[in-house]
Amino acid sequence: MGLTEEMIDEGVERYRESGKFTEAEKLAFRYSELMATDPGAIGEEFYGALREHYSEAEIVELGVFIGFNAGYHTFFGTLDFYPMFSPDGRLVSQEESRRIYGDRPVSHLRGPLARAQAGAPEGGARAAAAPRR
Amino acid sequence: MPIIQPLDRDKVEEKGWERILRRCEEVQAPDDLFVRILARAPGYAKAIHDAMHMSHAEGNVPHTLKEIIRVQLARRAGDTYFANLRSRKAIEEGLTEELVEAGCGDFEADPRFTPAEKWALRYAWLMYREPKKIGKAFYDEGKRHWSEAQIMELGGMIALHYGMQVFMRTLGAFPLRDPRGRPVDEAEARQIYGPRVGDGLGG
Repeated sequence: MGLTEEMIDEGVERYRESGKFTEAEKLAFRYSELMATDPGAIGEEFYGALREHYSEAEIVELGVFIGFNAGYHTFFGTLDFYPMFSPDGRLVSQEESRRIYGDRPVSHLRGPLARAQAGAPEGGARAAAAPRR
Repeated sequence: MPIIQPLDRDKVEEKGWERILRRCEEVQAPDDLFVRILARAPGYAKAIHDAMHMSHAEGNVPHTLKEIIRVQLARRAGDTYFANLRSRKAIEEGLTEELVEAGCGDFEADPRFTPAEKWALRYAWLMYREPKKIGKAFYDEGKRHWSEAQIMELGGMIALHYGMQVFMRTLGAFPLRDPRGRPVDEAEARQIYGPRVGDGLGG
C-alpha cells in the first residue's frame, strides 16, 4: 500500500466517504470504530458483512488486534509517555517528543511534522540523536 | 454458538495446544471456548492465552484480587462470556462470590479490602470510565502500596483482559459450564446467565 500520513488521516477521519479505500477496508475501520465506542452494535449482521470480505481467520485476527489496541492504548495513555522518535525519524528526548506531539493525538500533518522539522539539527533529521535520559 | 464458531478441540493445530487446554481446565478463566475461537487465526491461541494466563494467574499480585478485577472489567465491557467465568484457582485460594460482588460494587467503603486492594480495584474501575483521573498523583499513591513491577502487572492485565472482553462481547458467547462447574450447552448457559451483565459499555 505504501502508507502515507495522508492515508492515515483519510482512514481515521474520512474513511466512510473516501474513494481511496475498498469496501473491505472501510468495514475493518468501522469494526475498529464500533469496538471502541459502541460494541453492542456489532452483532450477527455486522459479522455477516465482514464474512463477505474476510475469512474467519482474518476476522479473528482483526478482532483480537482491535481489542488488544483498544485495551492497551487507554492504559498507555495513563502513563504519560511519548514516542522515542520524532515523525521524521530522529531519536528525541521525552521533553522534545512531548513538545512535538502535544497533549492530544492529532494528525502528524497538523503540527508534529512541522515542529519536528523546525527542531531538527542541520545536516538532516536523522543526523543527531538526542542524549539518552 | 458464538458468532464465530470455535474450532473442534481435535482440529486445532497449535504449538503447545495440550498445555493450553490443561491450563484452561485448571483455571477455567478462560475456558477452552475462547482459545478455540482464537485458534481460527493460526498462532493466536498460544500467543494471547500465554499473555492472559501470565498476567492473570501468575505474577506477584494476588490472583484472587486479579480475578475480582477481571470480573469487574468484564461487566464494564458488557461481556456475557468473561463476566460469567470464575477462576477455579481463585476459588481454591478462598475467593467467594460475595467478595467478587463487593469488588464490583462499593469497594471503597468495604472493610474487607485493604487500602492496597482498594487502589487496585479503583485503578481498574477508572481505566475505562475516567482514565484521565489516572495520572501522576494516582500512580504516586499506588506506589505506596505496590512496586512498579506490580503496577505494570496490574496495568498490563487490565488492558489485555479488557481488550479481549470487548472482542468477546461482540461474539455473544457464554461459558461452557454453569456456576457449579457442570458442563452446559449454549442455550442452557444463556438461560442461566441471562443476556446482560453490569453497566456494559455502549448499552
